[in-house]
Amino acid sequence: MTELIPTSELPDSSDPDHLVKRSRGGFFLGAPVFLWMGLFFAIPYLLLFLQSFWEPTAFGVARDWSLDNYREVLGASQLAGDIYLPTLFKSIKIGAMVTAFSTALAFPLAYLLAFKVKRSRNRMLLYTLVVVPLWASYLLRAYAWKVILGQNGLFASMLSILGLENTFLSDLLYSEAAIVIAMTQIFTPFMVLTIYAVLERLPQNLIEASKDLGVGRLSTFRRVVLPLSLPGVVAGATFTMGLSSGDFVAPMLVGGESDVMIANQIYSQFGATNNWPLGSAIAFVLLAFVAILVWISTVAEKREQI
Amino acid sequence: MTDAVAEKSQDRPVETGSDSAVSVSLRNAVKRYGDVTAVDHLDLEAKQGQFLTLLGPSGCGKTTTLRLIGGFEELDEGRVRVAGQDVTRIPPYRRPVTTVFQQYALFPHLSVRKNIEYGLKHGGLNRKEIDSRVTEMMGLMEIPEMGDRRPRQLSGGQQQRVALARALVMKPPVLLLDEPLGSLDYKLRKGMQFELKRIHREVGATFVYVTHDQEEAMTMSDRIIVMRDGQIEQDGRPKEIFDAPKTSFVADFIGDTNLVDGTVTDSRDGFVTVDLGALGRVRGTSEAGLASGERARVSIRPTDVRVIATKGQGAVVTDAVLAGTHIAMKIKAGENEVTAHVPRGSSPSPGETVLLEVESERVRVFEAESE
Ligand SMILES: Nc1ncnc2c1ncn2[C@@H]1O[C@H](COP(=O)(O)OP(=O)(O)OP(=O)(O)O)[C@@H](O)[C@H]1O
Ligand SMILES: [Mg+2]
Repeated sequence: MTELIPTSELPDSSDPDHLVKRSRGGFFLGAPVFLWMGLFFAIPYLLLFLQSFWEPTAFGVARDWSLDNYREVLGASQLAGDIYLPTLFKSIKIGAMVTAFSTALAFPLAYLLAFKVKRSRNRMLLYTLVVVPLWASYLLRAYAWKVILGQNGLFASMLSILGLENTFLSDLLYSEAAIVIAMTQIFTPFMVLTIYAVLERLPQNLIEASKDLGVGRLSTFRRVVLPLSLPGVVAGATFTMGLSSGDFVAPMLVGGESDVMIANQIYSQFGATNNWPLGSAIAFVLLAFVAILVWISTVAEKREQI
Repeated sequence: MTDAVAEKSQDRPVETGSDSAVSVSLRNAVKRYGDVTAVDHLDLEAKQGQFLTLLGPSGCGKTTTLRLIGGFEELDEGRVRVAGQDVTRIPPYRRPVTTVFQQYALFPHLSVRKNIEYGLKHGGLNRKEIDSRVTEMMGLMEIPEMGDRRPRQLSGGQQQRVALARALVMKPPVLLLDEPLGSLDYKLRKGMQFELKRIHREVGATFVYVTHDQEEAMTMSDRIIVMRDGQIEQDGRPKEIFDAPKTSFVADFIGDTNLVDGTVTDSRDGFVTVDLGALGRVRGTSEAGLASGERARVSIRPTDVRVIATKGQGAVVTDAVLAGTHIAMKIKAGENEVTAHVPRGSSPSPGETVLLEVESERVRVFEAESE
C-alpha cells in the first residue's frame, strides 16, 4: 500500500530548516576532520594564545594576565629594547623576496609546461623534473644548501681556490642573499605546481578567441592568460609567503647567524631562553602580519577579477 | 570595409585580385593530423556577402576547414585567401576574419560589455566610438540590459548572443560560425536561425557557417557544401542539393530518403532503368553514366512515393504511424523495405497489399557504393 504525503510535509527547498537538516549530514561526515583539527590544531593554538598573556618564571609560567609580552615584542618595553620588530620586518622582507623570485621563476616554467611543450612525453619529463625535489624532505634540501652555500661549503671553497674571497661574490655567503637563494629553490617547485594547475585548465579556445579578435600574443597574455591564472599565483604566493617568512631551518643552516629570522627567535624562546610566553607572543604577532598580507592579496585578487 | 578591420589589416599588402567578388578561398587545402587527413585537397570559394554552409557528418572536417580559414591551423599544402589577400602564412590576429566558436569561448573574467568591446580596444577607436558601437550591438542582439553581468550569469541563448555580438562588433568582412546554435533547444534554435539570417542581410558580411543539421543548412544558406572525409561531395544551392544530389551520400544526408540497390537494365536520354528485385523496376534520372548490367543505388524520397491499394500480388504495408501532418508508412517487398510519407486519410492500413508509384523525374540513380 502506498501512502500519499500531504504536500505541506514535503521538504521545501526554500525552507531554511530544510537546509539545516541537510547540512547536519555534512557535519557528521566532517566530524573526524573537526576532531583531528581540534585536537592537533585549534587547541594547541588556543593554549599558545593564552600563554602569550602569561608571565614567565624561573621554572615555568605564572598565570598572571598582562600585555607585557606584546609590549616587549613591539619594542615598547624599556628592558629589552627594540629587537623583535626589526627582525620581524626582515623576515617578512625575506619572505616577500622569496615569494617574488619563485613566482618569477615558476610562472615561465609553468607556462612552458602548459602551452609550449606539445609532446606529452616531454611534458611528463619536465613535470617530473620539477616535482622530483618535492620528493626529498625539506630538511634534506635545506642541508643540501648548507653544503653548497654554508660555512666551509662548496661555494666558499671554490671562491678560495679561485682567489675570489674578497670580491662581491663572497657577499653571497652566510647572508640574506644565501637565505633567499636557498628558500627560492625550495619553494619554486611548489609554485610551479599551483600555477601549472590553473594554466592547464585554462581553455585553449579563450586564447584563440582573443587572437581571433585581432589581439596579439603579448596583449592576449596580459588580458586573458594572466588574469585567469591569478588565483593560482595568489594561492601559491600566499603559501610561499607564509612558509618562508616563518621558516627558521634553512636560514639557520645557510645564514651563518642564528637569529636572522623571527622564527629563529621564537625557536630560541621555546628552547635555550625558555621563555614560552614571550615566544608565543612573537608567534602571534608574526601570525597577525602574515594574516594581514594574505587578506590584502585575497582582496586585491577579487578586485582584479571585476 | 570598416575602420576596425582596416586597423587590423593595415600592415598587409592589399592585392586587388582578378575577381574581387571572391571573399574566401581555399586552394588545394590539405591538413593532416598524424595518419588522419582531416582536410583532403579541398577547393572552396565563397563570394562576397554569401551565406555559405559547410554541411556533413561528425568528423568530416568542417571545424578543421574553418580553423584553416581563421588561421588556427597551418595548412600542410595549399593556400588560403581572404578578401583578396593571401593569408596562408598570416597569424589569426592579423586576418580579417572573426570566428564565433562552437563553445562560445566568452572571457569568464570579463563582463558582457567588456567581452563585446574586447577586440575594439586594439582597433584605434576612441572610448566614445567603442561605447556607441557596443551599445548598438547589444541592442541589435536584444541584450541591452546585461552589460554588467558575467558570462556565467547568462543562459545559453544569451551567451550565444554575446558571442555573436563580440564577433560582429568588429564588422569583419568574413564571419566564421562553428555550429553556433548547436547547444540551443529546438525552439530557441529556430528563433536564432531567423535572427542570424536577418543579421546576415543587415551587415552584408560573408558568412561561412558550419552545421551538421541539414534542415538548418537548407533554410539558412545561399549555398551548401556537403563534405565527407575531408573532401567536397557536392557544392550547390540548397534546392539543387535537395532535388539533384550528385551522390547517394548526399541524397541520404540531405533529408530522408530510401536507398535501394539494384541492377541497371536500360540507360538512355539521361534516364536509367534499374531492376530492384521484389520492388520491381524503377526509372530515374542519373548523371553517373551507368551502363546496362552495372550495379546502381536508387534514391527515392518518402514524400515522392504514392501508395495504391491493390488486390493480389504486391508489396505489403508493415507499419503506419501518424507523424504530424502525414502518415509514415513502412512497406516491405521481398528483402527491401521502403518508407513512404502519404497524406492523412485515404491510406491503406498495415497488412494490406499495395502498389508503389513514383515519378521518374523525382528518382535519382547513382553508382553503387563500394563498401
Ligand atoms: N587536434 C587534432 N588532433 C588530431 N586529430 C584531429 C584534431 N582535430 C581534428 N582531428 C580529426 O580530424 C577529423 C576532422 O575533425 P573536425 O573537427 O574537423 O570534424 P567536424 O566535421 O568539425 O566534426 P563535428 O561535426 O563532430 O564537429 C576527425 O577525424 C578528427 O578526429
Ligand atoms: Mg566540429
